[in-house]
Amino acid sequence: MFFQQLVNGITLGSIYALFALGYTMVYGILLMINFAHSEIFMVGAYLGFWALSLLPVWVQGWTPGYFILVFAIAMMGAGLLAVTIERVAYRPLRRASRLAPLISAIGVSIFLQNLVQVTVSAQSQPYPDTFKISHYEFFGVQVNSLQIFIFALAISAMVLLQVFITKTRLGKAMRATAQNHTVSQLMGINVNFIITVTFLIGGALGGLAGVLNGMYYGSIKFNMGFFPGLKAFTAAVVGGIGNIKGAMVGGFLLGIIEALTVGYISSAYKDIILFAVLILVLIFRPTGIFGEEVTEKI
Amino acid sequence: MTLPRRWPLIAIGLLVVLILPLVLNQLGNLYAVRVIGLVGIYCILGVGLNITIGYTGLLDLGYIAFYAIGAYTAAILSIAGISFWLGLPIVMVVGGAIRLGLGAPILRLRGDYLAIVTLGFGEIVRLVLINLDAITNGPKGLPRVGEKIADVKLFAFTLTENIHFYYLILVFLLIAIFISHRLEHSRLGRALIAIREDELAATLSGINIARTKAVAFVISGIIGAVAGDIYVHWNQFVSPESFTFWESVLLVSMLVIGGMGNVWGILLGVVLLVAVPEVLRSTLGTAFVDYRMIAFGLLMVVIIIFRPQGLLPSRRRALELEAAGGEP
Amino acid sequence: MKAHTVFRLTLTFIFLLGILVVISGCGQKGPRVVKVALVAPLTGDIAAHGQGMKRAAQLAIEEAVQSNRFKDFKLELAAFDDRGDPKEAVTIANQIISDPAILGIVGHLNSGCSIPASQVYAKRNVLMITPASTNPKLTQQGLRNVFRLCTTDDVQGKFAADYAVDNLKIEKAALVHDKTAYGQGLTEEFRKEFLARNGQVLSFDGIDVGEKDFKALITRIKGESPQLLYFGGMHPECGLLSKQAKELGLSVPVFSGDGIVTPEYAKIGGPATEGDYASMIGSPPEKLPAASKFVANYHQRYPKNDMQPYDPYTYEAINIILDAIEKTGGDRNKMIDYIAKVTYSGILGESSFDERGDTRNKTITIYTVRNGLFKYVD
Repeated sequence: MFFQQLVNGITLGSIYALFALGYTMVYGILLMINFAHSEIFMVGAYLGFWALSLLPVWVQGWTPGYFILVFAIAMMGAGLLAVTIERVAYRPLRRASRLAPLISAIGVSIFLQNLVQVTVSAQSQPYPDTFKISHYEFFGVQVNSLQIFIFALAISAMVLLQVFITKTRLGKAMRATAQNHTVSQLMGINVNFIITVTFLIGGALGGLAGVLNGMYYGSIKFNMGFFPGLKAFTAAVVGGIGNIKGAMVGGFLLGIIEALTVGYISSAYKDIILFAVLILVLIFRPTGIFGEEVTEKI
Repeated sequence: MTLPRRWPLIAIGLLVVLILPLVLNQLGNLYAVRVIGLVGIYCILGVGLNITIGYTGLLDLGYIAFYAIGAYTAAILSIAGISFWLGLPIVMVVGGAIRLGLGAPILRLRGDYLAIVTLGFGEIVRLVLINLDAITNGPKGLPRVGEKIADVKLFAFTLTENIHFYYLILVFLLIAIFISHRLEHSRLGRALIAIREDELAATLSGINIARTKAVAFVISGIIGAVAGDIYVHWNQFVSPESFTFWESVLLVSMLVIGGMGNVWGILLGVVLLVAVPEVLRSTLGTAFVDYRMIAFGLLMVVIIIFRPQGLLPSRRRALELEAAGGEP
Repeated sequence: MKAHTVFRLTLTFIFLLGILVVISGCGQKGPRVVKVALVAPLTGDIAAHGQGMKRAAQLAIEEAVQSNRFKDFKLELAAFDDRGDPKEAVTIANQIISDPAILGIVGHLNSGCSIPASQVYAKRNVLMITPASTNPKLTQQGLRNVFRLCTTDDVQGKFAADYAVDNLKIEKAALVHDKTAYGQGLTEEFRKEFLARNGQVLSFDGIDVGEKDFKALITRIKGESPQLLYFGGMHPECGLLSKQAKELGLSVPVFSGDGIVTPEYAKIGGPATEGDYASMIGSPPEKLPAASKFVANYHQRYPKNDMQPYDPYTYEAINIILDAIEKTGGDRNKMIDYIAKVTYSGILGESSFDERGDTRNKTITIYTVRNGLFKYVD
């Protein structure tokens, strides 16, 4: 049973981790909690849903291409949405106090959630199960192909992102921007462009997490972003916000703790224990597991 | 002192605040009185939270937990037969003690880490209320079947109508504003602002950071608990649904939109965020009832983009923002 | 005094006044308009239920207007959104009692909203029928204006437990609830009766509304090898629970209450929900002509929407209020007295209310999922 719980926890953690990457990237560059990220996740899931149901038959016959197309649509859409939100709701506030964009983000979040509820539906939408799931059993532990797929995708997204950040010119420019906007600008970096790219990538990953969430659980709803959003953000903080490895480790850690708590202690007290762990981690490591000391003010 | 120069306006304001609800009540519009009373409760919460966020610069995303603790403590005491006035100091002590217990280990965290810890604490409190059936009656809420929350009595007079509670709330709000005002202009208040601006410099000036922060944090928690106490006596029922994370977020939004650090700004922010949904409810009517929250979200974004410093920022902060140019 | 300070403060007060004027201006409409209020969460997490209730209420009002039963009145539905928040519920309640045109209220959904709001309605003797709040306290406050059309948890939970023991021959069950007043109450009543019938309760767990991953919980429950999974709560969680249980090889039926009886349940849970059970108040629609007519009209009026669990109750509650308006000429006090005595026969069968205001209609039907739809079991 322990290994089964581990598998459950790792799958859950993969989704948290992918989701947390978006929070952490935006935080790294702008030092803001992007509350609207959970709505980007939700919109991504809906875009994937429409792509899955509406793509013409000739595409559907060609399985790998079909999935690539579905993911591409959802990720592009979510990425563009994130960029639009940044342009409209955050950019005018770049020079304001740090709480102003937070409030703007909350407004965007309320707006998007209710917009989807009214224009699409207040009900859950069953997700088309086009993904042929094969079940495997190893020593009594149930694993299915979707779980493996999600895990692999999460890991490769993280590795690609890490390589991108550390090895490419654009990635280096992003890290420079994260350190200091003014100095980066003096070095010839187009800060606005870098921020746009950050939101594009973060949003696309959020959209990807949304589609995977829909596929894995089989239903989506307008408020689906809230719970995982809270957990993913917590994961990003536990790992050390602004740090890509941290978001990943935090995500897996949270998923595994959650599964094991439910398995061995209590389902009702699961989130209490989760948040207690969060508080303890931060008391003993005030900047998270991988975080660095930064001084900041609100 | 800035107070005497503004006194005519404050006098007019007080007159409006004192008499208008009474007029509305006489006209039979209980709804308007209820909304104004609710604005009052949120103003108390706003003033309390402002002591943490506005003066000290600690972003607290779980403030609603203390509102909940106050409400539940009051409900339990009231069911046990303890009157509102006798219960009030107990509620304050409980709220303050828990706030201190939370604050002691976490107050050294900075900025968003503190924010996320308070968020976590807020969720823990809500979940404990749901799960601790023996004490809180879980999701079914208090009082249980056959129990009753005692009425608030003032000598021989029993508070029953919205308008009665409105005046009770008003008295407590004025006390909270007074405390907040004294705090801002006291030695402690100046120490808090010094901490907000630069912890290191504050330490070097001989301010005991941990103690100063803790005092502000605890006062703020007590004010929240008192608001909960009044609310539960007014509503005669309490259940965990009232204390979601969104309530905390809404409170912070009220502060930021109104203008942090300034009591008048907070009052304006509260009026705006409590009253706007109500105005929308009346104007949209049944045909557009579903669009209310869409409009609300949009409005939040628009207001903050046009007034990023809040509608009425404190003069000190406004000057800082102009001078600093706001580099994050 | 600086000019801009004066200006700002004056603006503040003008603004404040403006809002108060707008608030106080509402609720004064022309005469002869009679309104029935529906109060439910139309936005927020459980909006799907509230929206369904609104559709059912709309349908009932439209049918009444078309039937020309009310020649003296202009009949209207006034829909309010309480977002499942007790504070908003009480505010709306105050708004409703300030509007003399509103003669009855159907709502609220959450007991946490119904209880404090009912005390406000009582102040002005406005009739309230809840189609969904199951907390026993609601009708035990001694308020004469409060009626409940759904059953309390003890009736439904007991019936379900008896059915599980007698008909399904279940000896060992695992119990899960969604930590709401409804879900937990129902599950506790099930447990009480199940234990009394010598059943063995293997575990009793709570989950959160809006949660999606129950695999860890199911993995643990599977280790206890139950014969039945009882769930107190709503269909979004129950559908996923059923689906994930079968994925992890826990192939036992899921048994739940009226909160899951909607076609959406099988859409969420997929083929895994085949053979799951649910208990619900009232006779099956197939046996009641009025009920099958309602189902047909509903689908004709709203072809894109699934019927939600509380839609039939809401429809019935609106019709009971309309009946009272018709018979009493729309006097708030007389309406309450009328409803306290009336036996109304509608889509739920014969409904009347006891001295507390609870429905005497305790007919419960067991449904099971066949080919993705709930079918009644004899």
